[in-house]
Amino acid sequence: MAAQGRIVWVSGPAVRADGMADAKMYETVTVGNSKLVGEVIRLTGDVAFIQVYESTSGLKPGEPVVGTGNPLSVLLGPGIIGQLYDGIQRPLRELSKASGSFIGRGITTTAVDMTKKYHFVPTASNGDEVSAGNIIGNVQETDLIEHPIMLPPDHVGGKLSNLVSEGDYDLETVMATTEKDGQSVDIKMYHKWPVRKPRPYNKRHDPTVPLLTGQRVIDTFFPIAKGGTGSIPGAFGTGKTVTLHQIAKWADSQVVVYIGCGERGNEMTEVLVEFPHLKDPRSGKPLMDRTVLVANTSNMPVAAREASIYTGVTIAEYYRDMGKDVVLVADSTSRWAESLREMSGRLEEMPAEEGYPSYLASRLAEFYERAGRVQAAGSPDRNGSVTLIGAVSPSGGDFTEPVTTHTMRFIKTFWALDAKLAYSRHYPSINWMNSYSGYLADIAKWWSENISKDWFSIRSETYGILQREDTLKEIVRLLGPEALPDEEKLILEVARMVKIGLLQQNSFDDVDTYCSPEKQFKLMKLLVDFYNKGQQALKEGAALSDIRELGVVSSLLKARMDIKDDEMPKLDQLDKDMQEQFKSISGVKVSN
Amino acid sequence: MDKCHPLANLALEQTIDKILNQTQKEIESSIDSALNDSQQTLDDAIPKLDQEYDKIIADGKKEADKIEKQIIGSADIKARNKQLLALEASVDKVFTKALDEITNNDRSGDYANLIKSLLDESIRILGTSEVIVSTNSKDRDVVQSTLSGFPGSELSSDTVECIGGVIIKSKDGAMTFDNTLDARIERLKPLIRKDIAAKFGVNN
Amino acid sequence: MTAEGGVQYSKIAEIKGPLVVVDDVESAAFDELVEIETLEGERRLGKVLEVGNGKAIVQVFEGTTGLSISGTKAKFVGKVMEMPVSKEVLGRVFDGLGRPKDGLPDPIADKFVDINGEPMNPEQREYPKDFIQTGVSVIDGLMTLVRGQKLPIFSGSGMSHNLLAAQIARQASVVGKQDDFAVVFAAIGVQYSEAEYFRRSLEESGALKRSVLFLNTADDPAIERIITPRVALTVAEYLAFDLGMHVLVVITDMTNYAEALREISAAREEVPGRKGYPGYLYTDLSTLYERAGKLDGRKGSVTQVPILSMPSDDITHPIPDLTGYITEGQIVVGRDLFRQGVYPPINILSSLSRLMKDGIGEGSTRDDHSEVSNQVYDAYSRAQEVRALAGIVGKAGLTEIDLKYMDVGDTFEKEFLTQATDENRTIEETLALMWKIVSKLPKNEITKIKDKHVEKYYKEEE
Repeated sequence: MAAQGRIVWVSGPAVRADGMADAKMYETVTVGNSKLVGEVIRLTGDVAFIQVYESTSGLKPGEPVVGTGNPLSVLLGPGIIGQLYDGIQRPLRELSKASGSFIGRGITTTAVDMTKKYHFVPTASNGDEVSAGNIIGNVQETDLIEHPIMLPPDHVGGKLSNLVSEGDYDLETVMATTEKDGQSVDIKMYHKWPVRKPRPYNKRHDPTVPLLTGQRVIDTFFPIAKGGTGSIPGAFGTGKTVTLHQIAKWADSQVVVYIGCGERGNEMTEVLVEFPHLKDPRSGKPLMDRTVLVANTSNMPVAAREASIYTGVTIAEYYRDMGKDVVLVADSTSRWAESLREMSGRLEEMPAEEGYPSYLASRLAEFYERAGRVQAAGSPDRNGSVTLIGAVSPSGGDFTEPVTTHTMRFIKTFWALDAKLAYSRHYPSINWMNSYSGYLADIAKWWSENISKDWFSIRSETYGILQREDTLKEIVRLLGPEALPDEEKLILEVARMVKIGLLQQNSFDDVDTYCSPEKQFKLMKLLVDFYNKGQQALKEGAALSDIRELGVVSSLLKARMDIKDDEMPKLDQLDKDMQEQFKSISGVKVSN
Repeated sequence: MDKCHPLANLALEQTIDKILNQTQKEIESSIDSALNDSQQTLDDAIPKLDQEYDKIIADGKKEADKIEKQIIGSADIKARNKQLLALEASVDKVFTKALDEITNNDRSGDYANLIKSLLDESIRILGTSEVIVSTNSKDRDVVQSTLSGFPGSELSSDTVECIGGVIIKSKDGAMTFDNTLDARIERLKPLIRKDIAAKFGVNN
Repeated sequence: MTAEGGVQYSKIAEIKGPLVVVDDVESAAFDELVEIETLEGERRLGKVLEVGNGKAIVQVFEGTTGLSISGTKAKFVGKVMEMPVSKEVLGRVFDGLGRPKDGLPDPIADKFVDINGEPMNPEQREYPKDFIQTGVSVIDGLMTLVRGQKLPIFSGSGMSHNLLAAQIARQASVVGKQDDFAVVFAAIGVQYSEAEYFRRSLEESGALKRSVLFLNTADDPAIERIITPRVALTVAEYLAFDLGMHVLVVITDMTNYAEALREISAAREEVPGRKGYPGYLYTDLSTLYERAGKLDGRKGSVTQVPILSMPSDDITHPIPDLTGYITEGQIVVGRDLFRQGVYPPINILSSLSRLMKDGIGEGSTRDDHSEVSNQVYDAYSRAQEVRALAGIVGKAGLTEIDLKYMDVGDTFEKEFLTQATDENRTIEETLALMWKIVSKLPKNEITKIKDKHVEKYYKEEE
């Protein structure tokens, strides 16, 4: 029986209600006369502590609170792709129909259009023995997404009957029924799943396939694997959001879930405006056809910010279960942690570091644990992955604050954004000395099989140049560059070229915004060759200034913008030019 | 939130409408004269502007532009502000007359019903019928006789300064609800002002 | 608005800091407006921060000085705080709570609007991309402002941020040509002279009649500062989205706002975040800054230029830090440049406009704008490195190319950055100056500009 209580206390997003003995933990409730959505987060006697997902302005003690009997859940079925949801899966487009340009309160909507018809092609047959996760047929959700209709993960299984034939059906149509022990269960195109409960799968795989993002500093230097976890911390103005947008645009996954958690409204608008016009580099279809947005902007109610992360990851797991690779980008997990802190404060819990609750670390761990490359439950066999990438917004850019330090314990790829690089307009401002990837060894095989067997060694050589430069910089800082011998000056010179020609990437440039793995490798190899030829030339007596002034230098630096992915012969030509030019200076002795 | 009692508003509306009809001409002419004044200010500003302009033309066009903008801008504002003050004066006149009318209103017949509805409302809002009721000396009799219908209520021996209506206090003294006509008019004042302004054709 | 008033309660349980705790409250709503009446009959405004179990915690905007436990009464007005708005607010001066301060009557309201506003639906926003020419080269060229953006000025005590904000307000308005432009100015706890400077500057440019001023000066009640930006933004939203005007909102100084917030938090004995500021400072600030923007299908826009002084010039202090995470970039005023007498003393390396990329280029400024801007940033950043190096090893230890970068740094500061407070440069003038700087470098140093633009605009000096 649903709980029926009344409000006894209101403070911001926190409400206490009595008469709630029948309520369950994490049950959703409607609060007050205007029926705001809330969730029970603590029960003491018959008093329920409720976090309210909408503004509580004007709420009074004495107003009713009614339980729904259900935990906070999302609706999973065709129609999710292309949507912009709020933190509790209400489509913002539908909200605007009810309340205009500003977000009103107490509005109920359905997450997807229940009346839209999809063309269903059955793949199972009547009489089949089916179990949780089994696919009974497919619908085409968008041009890019074939959407299998699966039995819900908590389905008891049984014998399939009444399976509809191929045709157009809406979401409320009973597509089939299952019979077991005299019980029959209807199967529709959708089901609901509680957001705080990870969806089950058969087994986990090791992450060995790189998630290609087309961003050189990521793919080449600090790669992330499909099903892996990554974090991108950075002070404001370091280009966090641009980098995340780049990943959401170009990652080679089938589905992207983008969570704007406590961030700017215009950033979500930007995605909405831009993505329908951008084409997926692999399929040529609009990027919006594979993207789901969950937005709880900074000025929207803080409790829904906490929920938005779970809403997003549950949607991601649903598409994973279809056998798809899904990337989830959460910007920013710090704002999510702050919403935990705010509710914890109102619950008067004992605070740990910087006022965050003591369970911050375990909540972060639980979240990142929902990443993975898995074999989905049910037949036919299929593998899918959820890659989790969380932005962190450390206060004052200080990486020792609790959210950054705890996050580092649970992720394997760390892209440290650097304000100094950003100030000098080195974008993406991922610091190559402080960042790391735990997947390098796992995914090296993929590069060697698919791009070049030399990939790993060339990468190490390039990274070696950057490391040596880092050491030499200290000397330069004290003594000036003239104190170095020419061989070491050449290291500085090539390191500069690696930074400008490889690490930097202009996301607003039509060509440079995405870089294919082939081009990444060739650019890197050209620079390493340049370095080796340069050292050789110095040994043979060439002057450093001759090397610096080779015409090929400027071409190498601009190749990332000037040469398109489908113009690889031009890079080979550049290689030839370089060989020629080095020949022209070798052996020429110049005094000074 | 509940609507205010229809009787209370009706009486007020009627009074104001009546007064409006009487005073409309007078007020219109005062607004006209404010407008004329403003025009005059603007006209005055132009020769002054010309003089200033000649004087400083040598100092450079930039400075002249600045002063031109400043003078025109200030004249515009001055003109507008005069209108605002004239309008406010008119509104005040209407209010004063309306209040006079209500003060001198006959306390028989409908007035008792008004008091009853004010008491009803106040007791509902306070959530207790154990109340002390205060009113002005003029209304005491009407209130006294109405109170017989409200068991638990008492008439305070003190009177209050107001044009009509009641102030209700819980017997423990913790809660007070001011339901005098003065308070009601004060609360409605912004809306009434808007209506009056609209009737004079001042749109905003 | 109705004629039904609120109940007045006279049992005051506690008065602490800016808070009054009222007992035996039967009916009060969260966020409700409260009228406090002192023993002497003075009225002050406040709002409900917490209500329940017969108690209401009320935050008094005008402070609790002089209130007593007995004799103080609290009336719960039955609505949240509202601001009367109409076109007639233009040319008016209000106090920090939105009450007339110019001796004129209350504006006759077109409507009454909840000062807290409602969050804009991101789906209904229009992405800001219309270039605003401020006439200040460093802003137009390197950190372009667009309509609907929120771009704060991070400054420090005593520096020339007010001059700059006033110059932007004057020059971006182009009075006389654009009838649909308005300036909303909110002074929060600043000295009277600063507020007056701004008022006079608007008056001199003739923009006063298109402006609305809200003044809470240093001697006004501190808690009122929580309300000042909200009433100002409520008026700005009305002018923009009901009347279709392009509104520039200048708010100074947000640091005083955050301090008022901290005072309330401390009085409520909340667990503090960094430097004693409440953990919800970010969320609270966002409810102000996010009120900038444009909406689909509506003509106007709200552009915000909030000013904040960084305590000890520290950009990692929570106030600038959290602001920077919400706003769409920042204009940072640098102490070194200010000391050298440079105006405007903007440190471009730590400054940024996030929306610049969409506001510039072909069709709005010029197709080479983005690239030449990147190159100028790069060159100035190199110049700063070289200057630091020269400080250690001396000019003699520098290479030829290093010396060129030093020259670029000087030209940048003297000819491009430096500008008179009444100098209004066109975007063409600004771009020409940027190419002049870039052209001081040899061509092979130009790595951020495509060849076709180099060919067109690069002019080697003889």
